[in-house]
Amino acid sequence: MTLPYQCLAACSRSTGDGDEWALFGAAGSELVVQSSTGIASVWPAEESQAKNREEAQEPAEKRVKLSPAVEQKPNFTTLKVSHDKKHLIGTTAEDKCIRVFEIEAGWRLKQISERCMARRPCSIDLTSNDSTILCADKFGDVYSLPLIPPPEDELNVMPESEKAQKKFLPSASLSTVHSGRNRKVLEEQLKQAEKGRPQPKDAPKFKHDLLLGHVSMLTDIVSATVGSRSYIITVDRDEHIRVSRGLPQAHIIEGFCHGHEEFVNRLCLTQSGRLISGGGDAHLYVWDWLSYRLLEKLPIQAAVLDYFQKHPELELPVPEKEGNFKVAVSGIWNVPFGNSTEEILVACEGVPALFSFIPGSSPSLSQTLPLSGNALSVAFIGARTAVVSVDHMHKAGSTTQIRDDQGVSRIQCFSIAQDGQWARDDTLTEPLAWFSHDAGEGEHADGRAAGTDDDTARAGFSKKVRTILYGVGNLRKRPEAEAEIAT
Amino acid sequence: MPGEPAKRQKREAYKKGLEEDEAALPKKKFYRQRAHANPFSDHSLVYPKSPADMDWAGLYPAHAVKKHETKASHDLSLSEEESRALKAITKNVEIADIGCGFGGLLFALAPRFPDTLILGMEIRISVTEYVSDKIRALRSQHATSAAQDYQNIAVLRANTMKFLPNFFTRSQLHSIFLCFPDPHFKQRKHKARIVSYTLASEYAYVLRPGGIVYTITDVRDLHEWMVGHFEKHASFLRVASEEYDGEGESDVRERVRIMRTETEEGKKVERNKGEKFVALFRRVEDPPWPED
Ligand SMILES: C[S@@+](CC[C@H](N)C(=O)[O-])C[C@H]1O[C@@H](n2cnc3c(N)ncnc32)[C@H](O)[C@@H]1O
Repeated sequence: MTLPYQCLAACSRSTGDGDEWALFGAAGSELVVQSSTGIASVWPAEESQAKNREEAQEPAEKRVKLSPAVEQKPNFTTLKVSHDKKHLIGTTAEDKCIRVFEIEAGWRLKQISERCMARRPCSIDLTSNDSTILCADKFGDVYSLPLIPPPEDELNVMPESEKAQKKFLPSASLSTVHSGRNRKVLEEQLKQAEKGRPQPKDAPKFKHDLLLGHVSMLTDIVSATVGSRSYIITVDRDEHIRVSRGLPQAHIIEGFCHGHEEFVNRLCLTQSGRLISGGGDAHLYVWDWLSYRLLEKLPIQAAVLDYFQKHPELELPVPEKEGNFKVAVSGIWNVPFGNSTEEILVACEGVPALFSFIPGSSPSLSQTLPLSGNALSVAFIGARTAVVSVDHMHKAGSTTQIRDDQGVSRIQCFSIAQDGQWARDDTLTEPLAWFSHDAGEGEHADGRAAGTDDDTARAGFSKKVRTILYGVGNLRKRPEAEAEIAT
Repeated sequence: MPGEPAKRQKREAYKKGLEEDEAALPKKKFYRQRAHANPFSDHSLVYPKSPADMDWAGLYPAHAVKKHETKASHDLSLSEEESRALKAITKNVEIADIGCGFGGLLFALAPRFPDTLILGMEIRISVTEYVSDKIRALRSQHATSAAQDYQNIAVLRANTMKFLPNFFTRSQLHSIFLCFPDPHFKQRKHKARIVSYTLASEYAYVLRPGGIVYTITDVRDLHEWMVGHFEKHASFLRVASEEYDGEGESDVRERVRIMRTETEEGKKVERNKGEKFVALFRRVEDPPWPED
C-alpha cells in the first residue's frame, strides 16, 4: 500500500510552448514528481534506495534498536518551492534535516544539501530574494541559513559562539552555596574542568545564525515584505503571533497580534497582505497585522460541525457531546487565482472536506468541498485548479480507523468554474493517475508490513502513518500536563 | 509543592488565621516551595490575552480608574470594552522585578519610588502568595496614612519567559530587575535561563529606549553569560559602572544600592560572604529600517 501525501507543493513555469506545471508530493520519506508534460520521477531514485536499504541492514546491533525499519527513513514534514521556482526545500522530521533540491530541467529533483539542525524544524520560509531559509524549530528558535550553503561550510567551520567558549571554567564557585544540589553540580564541574569543556552535542557545523526565539514550540513562520520593509511573523503553541523585523534586524520585535486563546498552528498571508491565523480556536482570525488589529473572525468550527451534521455517514469524532468537539486547523492556503476577491482554503485535522472562506464577505464561508478522505494538503496548478491530497488509509472523519475500501485516490482535483465556485475536475484524473495511485514504494521496502492481512502489522503501520499525518491536535494544552522539553 | 498532609494542614490552618487578621505579616516558613519550577511546562497558568485585558485595578486598587464600581470586571454580561474599563488603572506599571522570589526588592523599592507602579513576577505559587499576603498586610497597616503606602507594589504569578508580552505593551517599562536568577548550571538546562539572546529581544520590546535592565548574581559564570548575551544584542549597551557605583545621588544608583542589599538572595550571599556581580544594560533606540 502506498502512503498518503502528507504534503504537496507545485510550481508552474512558462515555456516557449505555453505553461507547464509540476506537482511535488511527499509520501513518507519519498518525494514524487509529476509534470503536466507527463514527466514522472521519485526521489530518492531507485538505485540509491537500494543502497540505503543495504546500509540499513548492515550493522545488526543498530538495527535491533531501530525497528520497525521504515522509521529509519526520515519523513517529510514541509515542502516549499522557492519564489524563482529553481529549488524545492523540504524538512524531514526524524533527522531534523533541511534538504534543498535543485529542480532540474525535466523536473528532476537533485538534492544539493542536507543540513541537520539541532532541533526539529517545524516550519520554514524563504526571504523574498530566495537567498535565505528561515527555519522555525520545536524549541522555539528561528535560524537563518543560506539557501545555497557557502563553500566554507565544507571546511566544518566552528560557529563563532563555540569558539568564544574555548576554556572551561566551573560555573559555581566555592562561595556559591545555594543548595546541596548545586554543590553536587559544582563537584561534577570541577571534575569536568580537568577533562576539558564538554562539547554541546550535535552542534551543527554549517553556517546558521540564531535570529529570534520564543520559549515555546514554534508552529509556523512567514516572511513578509511591505514596501521596502521585511518582516518575520512567528507563531507558537502559547497563542502568540509575533511580528519581528526581517533580516538584518530580526532581533527587533515590532509587536504581537493578541487574541487567540488556544494554540496557533498556521499562518497565511492573503493577496492584499492580510494575515490569517488558525489553530485550536473555534475561529480563524483575520488581522491587519501591521497595526496588530483583529479585523474579523471566521467560524471554522461551526463550518466543520455543520459539515458533519449534513453527513450522518461520518462519525463525529466526539459524538456524545457536540459541545466537546474542537477543531485543529492543519492548513490555510491562499488561493492564488483571485483577481478581486481574496479566498482561502482551510483544512482541519481528521476532517474530510476543505472549507473556502472569503474574508470580508457575509457569510464568510463561501463553500465546503467534500472529500473522499481527510484533507491533508493543497497545491495550486495552472490558472484555476487546486490539487488536494487526502488520507486514503483511514476512514473519512477518523484519524484512527483504517478504511475498508481499497483503491481510493490519494489526490482530488477541483477547479474554479464559470460561476466562480469550485467544482470537481476529473480532466486531471487521467494525467495524474500514476501520481494518485501508484507512485512511491510505500511499504514494500520494509518487508511488506502493509497490505498484508496481518492485523497487528496493519495496526502498527497505521500508528506510524498517524504520527506522520496527525500531530496538530496534540498541540492543545492539557491541564497539568507537562510539555515535554523537545530535543 | 504541597507537602505531606500534616504540613499541608498546618499551612491551611495558618492561612485561615491570617485571613482573619488583615494586618498580620505572613511567615515565610509556611510558604516555602522547592527551588525550581520548569519554565517550559504549561503549569495551567492564568494570563491575560493581551495587556489591555489584564485586571490591573485588582492589583492596584488605589489606582483604579473606576474606584467604586460594584460590578466585577469578570462579570460576563459586560462587553469587552466595559470589562477592560473596570480593569484599568490611571498609570502604567513601569518597573518589573522578574523572578521576584519573596519580594525583598519590592518592599524596599516601594517607599523610595512612591509614584511609580512596581510589579513583582514570580512563577512559584506559594512564594507569590507570600508576597501578596505581605503586601496586603502592609497596605492594611498603612491604610490610614495619607501617602497610601504600598499601594504602588503588586505581585502576580507568571512565567515571564513565555508571557511577558501578555502583560506589558511595547516600551511600557523603564526598569527591569533580574536579581539572582536561577543559575541552571547544567549545559542541558541553559535554555531555562531567564537571560538569553532571544529573551533579550522581549526585554527590549517591553522596555522604552533609555530604560535599563538591572542584573545581579553571585555566580560568576551566570554573570558572564548574562553580559555576553546582552552585549551581543544590538538593542542593549552595557552601562558603565561609574554610572551606578560610587558617589552621587541618582535613581540608578539608588536602585543598584537596593538591589545589592535588599533581596532575600542578596542577603543570603552577604551572610555567606559571597561575591556579587552587578551588570546594567541600557535599551537603545531602534535603528532606522534598512533602506527606508
Ligand atoms: C534564586 S530566586 C531569586 C529571587 C529574588 N529575585 C531574590 O533575589 O531574592 C529566582 C526566582 O526566579 C523565579 N523564576 C524562575 N523562572 C521564572 C520564570 N520563568 N518566570 C517567573 N519567575 C521565575 C524562581 O521561582 C525564583 O523564585
